[in-house]
Amino acid sequence: MRLLKLFLPILISIILIVLDTRFSYLDNFKRFTLTLLSPIYFVVDLPNHVIDWVNDKGSENAKLVSENEYLEGKLTELKARLQTYNNLVLENQKISGLLDSSYAIPEHQIKLAHVKSISQSRLKKQIIIDKGFNDGVTLSQLIVGSNGVVGHVTQVTPLYSTVQLITDPTQHMPVKNSRNGIRGITKGLASNEKGMIVEYVPLESDVKLGDVFVTSGIGNSYPVGYLVGRVTEINTLLNDSFLSITLQPLQNMNKLELVLIISEKND
Amino acid sequence: MTNQNHMLLLSKISIIALIIGAISLPLVIELSSPLWMLVCFVYWVIYTDGKWIYLSALILGLLMDVLQGGILGQNAFALVISSAFIFNVKKSFFVSNLTTQQVYIFIGSLIYLITFLLTHILVQGFDFSWLILISPFSSAIMWPVIRFLLAKLKH
Repeated sequence: MRLLKLFLPILISIILIVLDTRFSYLDNFKRFTLTLLSPIYFVVDLPNHVIDWVNDKGSENAKLVSENEYLEGKLTELKARLQTYNNLVLENQKISGLLDSSYAIPEHQIKLAHVKSISQSRLKKQIIIDKGFNDGVTLSQLIVGSNGVVGHVTQVTPLYSTVQLITDPTQHMPVKNSRNGIRGITKGLASNEKGMIVEYVPLESDVKLGDVFVTSGIGNSYPVGYLVGRVTEINTLLNDSFLSITLQPLQNMNKLELVLIISEKND
Repeated sequence: MTNQNHMLLLSKISIIALIIGAISLPLVIELSSPLWMLVCFVYWVIYTDGKWIYLSALILGLLMDVLQGGILGQNAFALVISSAFIFNVKKSFFVSNLTTQQVYIFIGSLIYLITFLLTHILVQGFDFSWLILISPFSSAIMWPVIRFLLAKLKH
């Protein structure tokens, strides 16, 4: 009887492991349980709320005014840059019209989210953000920071979402070299906190140190053109027909506070 | 302790372990931090009569899997196996001094980690940070503190 009490949970665990890795029958159960557990994120984040509140109360008026002035300046600068971008878009549309091309620069919807928690698992690199399906977040949406891609949404609850970072070993993202369009697929590295590699780039490809890889949009899983990482190492391995390329993510994952959730306009 | 009190203590311990486990830490500390759920669960195992140990381990493990976004059943499997070890040495554990208890916690954590990594390697391949191997040591080191705090909670 005692052995049965032990082996039954072991058997259930093994069955669940197999079911979860091979099929998606348990996704609804996971989503429901995570929704029930999501108050834990609130409790964990409570000290930050208190610190923010105390900081807000303690901030001097003069400091807030100067911060406001700085932010207004930054906004003006960004608006000026956006004008150039808008001109480029118009020019692109004209050229596309002249060439009879069907290509159009995709428009994306952007939502702002706060990072609640960074990595709560030993084998996964992930963050929790304060937007869930009540805010229109769906699975697989791309998450970007101010400097580049952060990852994609892997779990959604009504109030929170889990984002798997691009540096996670299970994360693969189609990318291309922004200089010449050479394509590959990134893969995170568990043994390296910051690094990732680009796989399936043929040996004779033109890739240089410092090249920047962006999302390629292949497979329509992620929007095209968002910055992913910079090449820090290129190696040619013996008996391998692909280059070994190491990327340094452009977005520093340890200093994330705000992220953007990207979705297609028609979502 | 009555059955109801056992369950109340388990609920308190589980919530605390889940909250501590969800706190954001720098990656190096996160990887080498104690196996909070196991260590807290051991405290409950040594005071309970052993009726629902494996079922409780399964449920708590599943909750951890869901919260961590990992493979469903991975933590549950590891927690059931390691709690079986702790339950087997329970009598000796109860009367041992603190150092011997730390040795038991170390072995229990090692069993947990081996089972946990075995599942990970089988499913996702041999790709993990070696820092994770420090966690059985940190679990054993933190045991006296956790035992003291949970004893306060129990009363």
